[in-house]
Amino acid sequence: MNPSVVALVVALPLLAAFLLPLVPGSARRVVGPLVLLVLTGIGMRLWDVASVAPVVLAVGDFLPPLGIVFYVDSVAALFVLAVALLCLLFWPWAGEGEHLDRKQSLTLILAAACGGLAVSGDLFNVYVFYELAAVASYGLAAGGRGAAGQVATFRYVILGSLGSLLALFGITLVYFMTGTVNLAHLAELAPKALVGVPGLAAFLLILLGLGVKAELFLVNAWAPEVYATAETRVSALLAGLVSKLALLVLVRLLVLVFPLPGTHEALLVLGLLGMLTGELAAYKARDVRRMLAWSSIGQLGAAFMAFSVPGDAGLVAGIAIALHHMLVKPALFLLAGRWGGSLGRIAGAARRSPLGAVLFVLFALSLLGVPPLPGFWAKYLLLSGLAGQPGGLWWLGGLVVLLTTVVEAVYLFRVIGALYSRDEGSVAADQSATAVAGSGMLAAVLLVIALSAPVLAGTLDRMAVQMGDVDGYVTRVLTPPAPAVPIGVAP
Amino acid sequence: MTALDTVLALSTLAALTAFLFGNARSYAWLAGILLTGQIVLLAGMDLPTSASLDFTIFGQTVGWQLDGFGRFFALITVGAALASVSYMGGEWGERYAAEGKSRRWLHGSLAANVMAMLLLLASKDLIAFFIGWELTSWAGFLLMAQGTDRALRAALRYVPYAMAGAMAVLGGLVLTLAWTGTLDLDGLASAMPDLGNARLAILLVLFGTGFAIKMGLLPFHLWQTPAYAEAPGAGTAFLGAISSRMGLFGLGLLLVKMITLSRLADLSLVDGLFNARDVLAWIAALTIVLPTFTALKQNDARYLLAWHGIGQSGYMLLGLVVGDATGSAGGLLHVFNHATYQAALVLSVFAVMHRTGTADLNSLGGLVTRMPLTFLVMLMGIIGLAGLPPMNGFVSKWLVYRSLMMNGMPLLFLMTVLGTLGTILSVYKLIHNTFLGQLRAEHEQIREAPWSMTVPMLVLVGLGFLTGAAPGLALRWVAQAQAALGLPVMSYTLGGIESARGSLDMLWVVGVLFAGFGIGAILFYGVGNRSKRIHQLDNYAGGHFLSADVRYHYSDNFYAGLMHRIGPLYRGSFVWLESALASATDLTATLMQAWYRQAVPALALLAAVVLGLGWVIWR
Amino acid sequence: MSQSSLSILLLGALGLVGIGVGGLVLSRNLYRLVLALAVAETGGNLLLVLAGFRPGAAAPIIEPGRAVAAMVDPVPQAMVLTSIVIGVGVQAFALGLAIRARAAYGSLDMDELRGRMEADIDAEAGAPPAASQHAPAIARLAGQPEAKP
Repeated sequence: MNPSVVALVVALPLLAAFLLPLVPGSARRVVGPLVLLVLTGIGMRLWDVASVAPVVLAVGDFLPPLGIVFYVDSVAALFVLAVALLCLLFWPWAGEGEHLDRKQSLTLILAAACGGLAVSGDLFNVYVFYELAAVASYGLAAGGRGAAGQVATFRYVILGSLGSLLALFGITLVYFMTGTVNLAHLAELAPKALVGVPGLAAFLLILLGLGVKAELFLVNAWAPEVYATAETRVSALLAGLVSKLALLVLVRLLVLVFPLPGTHEALLVLGLLGMLTGELAAYKARDVRRMLAWSSIGQLGAAFMAFSVPGDAGLVAGIAIALHHMLVKPALFLLAGRWGGSLGRIAGAARRSPLGAVLFVLFALSLLGVPPLPGFWAKYLLLSGLAGQPGGLWWLGGLVVLLTTVVEAVYLFRVIGALYSRDEGSVAADQSATAVAGSGMLAAVLLVIALSAPVLAGTLDRMAVQMGDVDGYVTRVLTPPAPAVPIGVAP
Repeated sequence: MTALDTVLALSTLAALTAFLFGNARSYAWLAGILLTGQIVLLAGMDLPTSASLDFTIFGQTVGWQLDGFGRFFALITVGAALASVSYMGGEWGERYAAEGKSRRWLHGSLAANVMAMLLLLASKDLIAFFIGWELTSWAGFLLMAQGTDRALRAALRYVPYAMAGAMAVLGGLVLTLAWTGTLDLDGLASAMPDLGNARLAILLVLFGTGFAIKMGLLPFHLWQTPAYAEAPGAGTAFLGAISSRMGLFGLGLLLVKMITLSRLADLSLVDGLFNARDVLAWIAALTIVLPTFTALKQNDARYLLAWHGIGQSGYMLLGLVVGDATGSAGGLLHVFNHATYQAALVLSVFAVMHRTGTADLNSLGGLVTRMPLTFLVMLMGIIGLAGLPPMNGFVSKWLVYRSLMMNGMPLLFLMTVLGTLGTILSVYKLIHNTFLGQLRAEHEQIREAPWSMTVPMLVLVGLGFLTGAAPGLALRWVAQAQAALGLPVMSYTLGGIESARGSLDMLWVVGVLFAGFGIGAILFYGVGNRSKRIHQLDNYAGGHFLSADVRYHYSDNFYAGLMHRIGPLYRGSFVWLESALASATDLTATLMQAWYRQAVPALALLAAVVLGLGWVIWR
Repeated sequence: MSQSSLSILLLGALGLVGIGVGGLVLSRNLYRLVLALAVAETGGNLLLVLAGFRPGAAAPIIEPGRAVAAMVDPVPQAMVLTSIVIGVGVQAFALGLAIRARAAYGSLDMDELRGRMEADIDAEAGAPPAASQHAPAIARLAGQPEAKP
């Protein structure tokens, strides 16, 4: 495969986003989905290739560490695929309110930025794509329900911009300690150059900066407000997709650039607090939409905790939790489109929409980690990773996971109880056909994963090993390719 | 395809067909056939039998294999389901459907329970065990939630308990993996006793909590009564008969097979003040006494029985923990015995409910003339529950008593006797308030329950009587279970046990008993029968005729004198504990939510940066 | 540029960041918040440019046939350029949001807007307002909206 295909992951949706307004009339509606379909194809192809060996692209023929590098391992390829599919699933089709063109353009920009975050091989691009994703998500969030959405987005913008500034400080700090922003080069230099207080401070700044999007504890106060006011489509994309990509970038940095003592503990503590606060706040939530928002904070806390476990065990667990949440939470948000209100409003809704209710139960059970659904394996990996560590802090983390799962069960089953309540005379809304169809597709994926879990477990292991292979990363990026084949745009 | 594969396939088929065709009137026949097939296969199975479902995931092999211990429980499970299904197949099911409730879901959840339990009972390693455990919990939830909103609310109360139990088991599972490197049950049987005291205590607490919650051991019992009592009748019978015994199954595996009882006795807690085995025995004893006396206060027959279900599980655990041949045989046999009479009792209460529309013990009475067969069932059932001959409950309790005496545990023995006393008092209240005394005017036209209901009940109590007179029939399966756990196997005869230190031959006991009855009957009817049959409403008190609207059938505050003495001892401490925990969670959750309602998010970010940098510099 | 003037600039940049962040934390007015954000970002950008600055070096422009001994580091400048562009866009966007919020709620006060937002969210979800059940009676009398049945 020609590696320059990787550039299309970013270039294609970005180009389409800006050219969209120029496309005449009726053709405009098909451009976006078409681009995303192509992106899906690229993602599949990349997955095939990358599961054998990661693909490296030096953009514009400038060789690393000077030029821009795209690095696609199997995790990145899977995320590219997920970006395409989720954007397609949550595409603003006609009938989704006004300003359709803007929403479509913004969704395409979001896809480009998320794809870019997945494949970027240097910090500078990470920053650029992160900002791009931020701007697109601000725009999408502001398109929500009325003035409350504007206020929530305003608060989100303030927090997000401040986070970006922090991340920028962190990146600059890294640059001045090492003189490079290329991840491979950094990985080579980090053990000597990125140590001590400045190194850890740089990590912390980047963590808190990018953590705003990844719903990291302390900087995640925007999430409940925005998810409660944005369109559920947007909430699903933000909670399902953008947060995971911010997380992925952080983990890449953790693995490649910051193998410092202390980073894992920091991640663990923040993840632990995120899970505790998020799940407990969700317990007290009085409407389904905000409940899901807080639950998503909690789940991302769990993902942070998983990645805090050193070694491949942590990567396997973290990837499993992130992927699982990426599948389940969007589906739940889809269903919350009509069932987002208070419990009183959805009482007895199962009678009107039995299939929707069954899907909700299925996703809730998987989120809780009820075997043999995939959520169980994710939780099992997380807990066995934590239990395998010697320290008390890790066990405390495991205890928090166990306890908050109980809390999670209570609030999810509260919703299920309301759905199946035999309360006559309730005015619960019917589930929309698109939501049932969309979440039905995700449920099918969930069940296929559940049935093929033993096979997929091996794949997951291989993905984690590939992601944790620092030496491989450095060698692949920094070793010049065979000279006969020019890469990228030939001069 | 092994026999176990076939059994599992049949139970899966039963679940699938139940969800597809469960609404059909005649579906119960299909379910009955499938369940009978499973019983036949289970009974005739060579042990141990493996299933061919094994797979490897994340370096662990997950597999299923049924041994004697699992088979014992599996037979009871499928048998209880068969009784419930046949009850559902008749008029009760018709009424259920006519009330707008879903027979499909009732059949489906029952079949799902059977399937989940079979998977649990046949598990060969802890992952398979946990899969079965969770499926059992949620299938149980499904069954509990059927029927009414009250049932749904009671089932929702079960959720935090079930999840806490599951998470405790999962926590134990991952720690076991971290400490021993294996999850295979046989492997753990050799690896677990070698763990240090602290680690073993942690595992004991984690697994033990999980299993105790399912079993309803003190102090985790509060969920069970409403959840079981409010379920639809056939479901209540199944749940009461076997569902919570899955906790006992888990405890058996953990305490006897993996940790082993002798290691348990070495495991001292609080600087050697107690050992773990004594603590467990006392928990079991308290579980006998306290719920039994709570049952005494119930005025709803379903709740009364459900409380007894909790109390009786104490005998089972006590027998198992004492752990000698007779004690463990008594504990295990009690699982079977309890299933027979508890299911029969629950079904009889629901038969009364079917006819009268209530299970309130204050609004019944005198039904013996109207529903004699149901009365017979309840009579035999309570004899079994109280542990009196000739029913099977006597045998298992006798074995437990005997082993407690033989092992020098008089205090525990006293507790069991206290429990039996409470049981006798409360089951008398049950049968008196339902069947004896004055018939209420509104029940004048009541008829006997239909055959579709009386036959399953009669079969169940008949089984109880048969295994009471010839306990050897059931002891065969018990002995296999003992052997599979590695317990000393009790030598038994058809009539009971033979041993140098005291035998029990129920054939003789029953024979003498009935000979006595016979003599009494001859004396009564043959020699001086001066009785005269009068109408039930033809009553006099103090020389005055009492009309039907004057109530002299006192059921309210039934044991007024006793309650005057022991009433102040009911403190509701566990309810208080539960609500305190809920309030604490609620308060913490409110605080956590307040964090997310912050006025200035930037401040949190600033604080995070400052704190973080402080940590970086000072760490 | 001398060392001292460099440190003055550095201090100034840090001061700007401090003022900006202080403003973000302390202000309640949306317009001031945007201004504070602008100030903080400017300070941050200045800090980055200064960090890449080398005394006496030329601008990092490579022209054919002109060898330059010392150049200022181009990477921070590129970053700052990106940051400025995005910052301007985001600030304009935030101002737009502020205008919309004012149009809807008639206020630029963050506390009031937040309260209105929460009330709107609750009302849309059909949940009673957060404070109403537990607030002291006097607060409810003082005009807090009651939950509509």
